[in-house]
Amino acid sequence: MIDDEDLQERTHRLLAEAAHVYRGVPPAAAVLRATVEGLAGPLRLAVAGPAQSGKSTLVSALIGEQLAPVELPGEQPESVVYRDGTEPLAWWRDAEIPVARTGYGLRLSPDARHERRLPGTSRAVIVWPSRVLRRTELIDTRLPLVRAVEEADAVLYVTPQLGDADVPALLTARGPRGPITAPVHLMVVLSRADATGGGRTDALLTAKQAARRRRREPRIGALCQDVLAVSPLIAAAARTLTADEFQAITALAALPRAESEPHLLSTDRFAAAGVLSPVDAPGRVRLLQRFGLGGVRLALTLARTGGDTPAVLAERLQEHSGLKDLQSSIAGLFTARRSVLRARSALATLDHVLRTHRTPAAGHLLAQVELLVADAHELRELRLLSALRAGRLNLPPEHGADARQLLGGAGVSIGERLGMSPDATADDTWHAARTAAGRWRDLAHGGTLPAAQRRAAETVLRSCDMIANRLDRLSSPALPLG
Amino acid sequence: MTNWETGPTAYPGPVSLAPPPRVPSPRTEPDPLRASGALLWLDVLDATIRTCTEHGRTETAEQLSRRRARLLHPELRVLVVGAAQQGKSQLVNALINAGVCGAGADGTRVPTVVRHAGAPSAQLIRRGAPGADWTAEVGLQDRIPLALEALDAAITEATGRLPAGAPVHAEVAVPRSLLAGGLVLIDTPPLPGPTGPAGQAVRDAGDLATHAGADLVLYVCEADRGLSDPELTVLQGLAALFPELLVVLTKTDYAVDWRRNLADTRDRLARAGVPAATTAVSSTLRLHALQAGDTALNAESGFPDLLVHLRRMVAAKPGALARETVGRLAGVAVQQLAVPLRDKLAAQRDASVPDAVARLHATQRRLDDLRKCAVRWQNTLSDEIGDLMSDVEHDLRDRTRAVLAEAEQFFAEADPAKAWDEFEPWLRRSLLELAETSTTWLAERTDWTAQQVAGQFPAEAGAVLPPLALEVAGPAPDDVVPGLDAPPVARFSPTQKLFIGLRGSYGGVVMFGLATSLAGMSLINPISVGGGAIFGGKTIRDESKSLLKKRQAEAKTIVARHVDDVFVHLNKEARDSVRRVQRGLRDHFTAVTEDLQEVIMDSLRNAKAAADRDVAAREQHSRRIQQELAALAQLHAQLVALNGRA
Repeated sequence: MIDDEDLQERTHRLLAEAAHVYRGVPPAAAVLRATVEGLAGPLRLAVAGPAQSGKSTLVSALIGEQLAPVELPGEQPESVVYRDGTEPLAWWRDAEIPVARTGYGLRLSPDARHERRLPGTSRAVIVWPSRVLRRTELIDTRLPLVRAVEEADAVLYVTPQLGDADVPALLTARGPRGPITAPVHLMVVLSRADATGGGRTDALLTAKQAARRRRREPRIGALCQDVLAVSPLIAAAARTLTADEFQAITALAALPRAESEPHLLSTDRFAAAGVLSPVDAPGRVRLLQRFGLGGVRLALTLARTGGDTPAVLAERLQEHSGLKDLQSSIAGLFTARRSVLRARSALATLDHVLRTHRTPAAGHLLAQVELLVADAHELRELRLLSALRAGRLNLPPEHGADARQLLGGAGVSIGERLGMSPDATADDTWHAARTAAGRWRDLAHGGTLPAAQRRAAETVLRSCDMIANRLDRLSSPALPLG
Repeated sequence: MTNWETGPTAYPGPVSLAPPPRVPSPRTEPDPLRASGALLWLDVLDATIRTCTEHGRTETAEQLSRRRARLLHPELRVLVVGAAQQGKSQLVNALINAGVCGAGADGTRVPTVVRHAGAPSAQLIRRGAPGADWTAEVGLQDRIPLALEALDAAITEATGRLPAGAPVHAEVAVPRSLLAGGLVLIDTPPLPGPTGPAGQAVRDAGDLATHAGADLVLYVCEADRGLSDPELTVLQGLAALFPELLVVLTKTDYAVDWRRNLADTRDRLARAGVPAATTAVSSTLRLHALQAGDTALNAESGFPDLLVHLRRMVAAKPGALARETVGRLAGVAVQQLAVPLRDKLAAQRDASVPDAVARLHATQRRLDDLRKCAVRWQNTLSDEIGDLMSDVEHDLRDRTRAVLAEAEQFFAEADPAKAWDEFEPWLRRSLLELAETSTTWLAERTDWTAQQVAGQFPAEAGAVLPPLALEVAGPAPDDVVPGLDAPPVARFSPTQKLFIGLRGSYGGVVMFGLATSLAGMSLINPISVGGGAIFGGKTIRDESKSLLKKRQAEAKTIVARHVDDVFVHLNKEARDSVRRVQRGLRDHFTAVTEDLQEVIMDSLRNAKAAADRDVAAREQHSRRIQQELAALAQLHAQLVALNGRA
């Protein structure tokens, strides 16, 4: 963690300075205080998108438990925040509220405490012990993308298709202005992957190919870090696969294909009474509701081809549903770089505060913000990383993996960036850093690469320089690296 | 043999597995009733077009004319529209059992018109303008033949050669008995989502349907979700143009709760007032069924119902469908025409008093004002003149009295015989001065009076003061103040003095002589003579004093008489002057009043005429609007009757 924390530290200093300047302006001071506190907290990852696009299902799939949607009698919370805690708790309008699990999510039951409360922000907070939520706070939000971006450090934009209507929404969500507009905090999830082309068996594959094509489009690449095809329904069902479900699936898979195939043609046929004798009709309806017809077909195919234990079946279902790809993208582009993303959103907030409450001191702070953002190599690093991952930019094959490693794609510590083994000595590290810098200097200034690749090489070179700087600062060779 | 002619359904029998339609084709059995019906709807449509043209709605008229041509055409063009990835192309493919429309993850880019022909063919049509009719004939250079084997790729390749954004559509002809009845299916690119301002999506959909020459719009929506609110708005907009809407929920094979969604959609359409037929189908099942020749599966797919409905529509096109379409379109057009007319009528009724009438009222008010003003100024003039008369007399009397008092004081001391020459010019001067002052004062008062009277006129009359100060000056001052002759003076001559002296001395001589005679002196002695002289001198002094008094009294009398004469004369002159002034002012202001009255009467006449004209014009205008509205109402009644027959 070298440069990422450096950026966070500088942001923190700026925020502290701003908080001092605005100590007499209550609204601005409150915003800044909350921002400073958020800077140290987990990454806030919002799941936004049009209605009925599968946001809550995706949240459940990511957490691995059926915690979404949240039901609240009489009202519908605009946002539900899921964060880690020691025991399940729920808050609604800043007051604790009893929470209970239902068959498909959570139910909050407001009592007398909430009637007196003024209707403020329509936001529920669910505290749930979960390993997933430890470093990432999930926000299931019905807010439009532009407002979701304000409330979170990173956003998953869930949409059935990435149509022309979504492009303006993504454009406005990129950021206020200047270099902060780099969309390092946006990822698009195409959520109808299982229904592509009428829900054929290869639907998920086709959808993933289409998503790969989309993420290579420069127009789309300029709007987000990644485009992924996911079937939230299958993913959520796979994450929470029960023994009963596994049994039903294996029983159905055991039937001869000729017998089961006609009943997999449509939902009506699959749910019809008196057919597919191993599982009764209500059981099949439950399966249908949990997996969807595409999910059932996929599960049966997987069960026939080696998915013979619940763990293996669930694993392979998750893989096919696209959840694994999504998780790895979130881990590589969001969670690992959470200090950058948090610093970025904090800077955006600070920029907004400085522009809305003009004071003589604000001009100086604003200049400092601009300087910091213009200097933030981390944002460029992230963009290059996503371009390399998506294939929008291709470096020569022998350098591609090296570049991704140096940019922090495999971990952001010095050791991980340089690909050192944990027990490497300081001298080895020095040597590796110097070699990498020399290699990339040759590439950047060698004149053999096309312009776009040369620019990429310059960015990698800058990363090498930062590693060297950091090593310089760690003057004591006994200090453990990484 | 093309690729879609192979397979189990390549036989030239009916494409659908549903029983053949019982409704006979319109061309095989001409129906006299329907023919007359056709004439009726055509008449009404023509009448509507005429009315639109008369009202200057050429655009609407043109649209209606186009629809008229479409309605007379035997083809039934079904436009398949919907959002992206809803299964539109798949629906068309399943309907005709041929892979003519590309159904993939990328979605349809180029609209495809599918119709019947003996031999399969495909071409890309380049339209002249985005707003051009799809049915319009295009030249040979705008028809690009397409390879049938890989239609999707061929279309992509052909459009790639054309400039970006050129309005194109593909025309595919396939031998299908379903299409042979005149059914034409049009697959379209997805409707743009509700990104723009509200109403834009509705207009876009309406434009697309109009330009494509659609007779029937088939709205496609996934059975997984049912209709969304923006889609419902689009359907409402389309319902205004197309009486027959068909909402088809697709992918029922994949949706879990499609029956509930279908019921929900029907409910929402009914609540939104959209008269659309609804059905749910599964293209996948239909294609499976056709491949396997599975009748039961085909029935499950829901397509037989859809096909029956489409065939019924084809049969109904020259009759009921055309009637309803005309009823809907003409109804919209008539409404469009009637609303502004009604607004105009209402605006005219509600409008405040028009200008002309307002002007008339204002002029009448001015005339009244003038009449009041005439009475006022006459009163003012007579009052002022009366005051002036008394003031002048009083003033003159005052001044003459002062002169007289001074003269009397003068003659209390002075001897008229000696001072007359000094007195007479003074008196003359004083009196002249008096006359002059009085004249000036009178002139000033006259001016003031004129101003007072002029002040009674309304401001709008302008400057009404007499042009010059009226002649006040009387006759020449010499005439007013004649010279005054000295009074006759009683002369006291020496002889008289001697005689009076002697007469007075006589008593003295005798008194003193008698006294002295006692003393023995003679009667005439020096003492008596001296006494006589004293007595004589006293008598002479007394006598001359009394003479002076007499002269002074005489002079005073004469002066008083003179001054009185002058006063009478001056007074007379002043009164004459005042009368003259009065007459002059009266004449002047009467003339002014008459002039003003003339002007106002004139404008009153004008205003009255204008108001009359205006009222007439308005009445005529509203009569015309009413007539037009009546004509529209009649047209509307015809429309209602038309639909009543349907």
